Amino acid sequence: MEENNNMTAERSLEIIMQQIESSRRTISANLAPSLISWGTLVFVFALLISYLWNHHGGSVWNVLWAVMWGCGYLVEWLINKRRPSVPNSIISKTIGQVWSTFGLFIGAMGILFGLALGGVLPSLLTVPDADVMGTLYINLTSIISLCFGIASTITGSILKNRIIQTCGFIAGQGGFFGAIQFPGAEQLYVMAAVALIGLIVPGLIIYSTNKR
Amino acid sequence: MFKPLDPLLHAELRLAVMSLLVSTEEAEFPYIKEQTGATAGNLSVQIDKLSAAGYIEVEKTFKGKKPCTLCRITPTGLKAFQEYIEALKSYLDVSSK
Repeated sequence: MEENNNMTAERSLEIIMQQIESSRRTISANLAPSLISWGTLVFVFALLISYLWNHHGGSVWNVLWAVMWGCGYLVEWLINKRRPSVPNSIISKTIGQVWSTFGLFIGAMGILFGLALGGVLPSLLTVPDADVMGTLYINLTSIISLCFGIASTITGSILKNRIIQTCGFIAGQGGFFGAIQFPGAEQLYVMAAVALIGLIVPGLIIYSTNKR
Repeated sequence: MFKPLDPLLHAELRLAVMSLLVSTEEAEFPYIKEQTGATAGNLSVQIDKLSAAGYIEVEKTFKGKKPCTLCRITPTGLKAFQEYIEALKSYLDVSSK
């Protein structure tokens, strides 16, 4: 960028827009490894838990989701160590807040259901009738998918990225209705599909776009 | 009536640096260099000018064992940038008519 004090107003505006757009692109590019890693973890754990649920002792294997969160944060830490430093901006902070809110809601829901199922809390606190298991398995994946879809679509809107927006919308809606159709362990296949469409595919597209 | 444009901001590289810093809490020198596509020497000179005017703060620190230069916009710089945008609007209003 050359030193030029005789810029037109249009050129000034163009420079300001360029910097905002460039910042948005950098954040998108940095998001790709996180999308791919979290998506792969959800995909693998959903299939693994589904297999164990069907063949080795039932729904208790859902406890492995906690292990997945641990693995996810470890991978994220490793990615951050290798990633070039990008400053916090209003855009990245907003995206962080959207996903933190998602994590808070899903985490709190999982803990409350877990405590109710474990008998620590009365089950009536979470589900008003006795069929706690049935209600939990039918609705929890639906709700998680829907919340995930909303968070993903908002992220796409903030980044003005149609791929993330579209994939988030399809994953959210598809996951919501798909999980209602499949009770029990089968809904984890829906969860795996949600991770594939909502995280892995947009992550790979953004990654390959930025490589070009 | 055209409002006067701040001569310190009405320069391509300085305006790019301020536009970058206005949306971030702080940015490291290599990041600003990469985003603006400027040479280290030129960028350093422009950052010094912005710093001397009180528009940005420059902090020399260490990241591990490596030296690290952090830049952040000051309230004075933010006000100057806002005024620059307001002044710019008056030019753009005329040219769009």
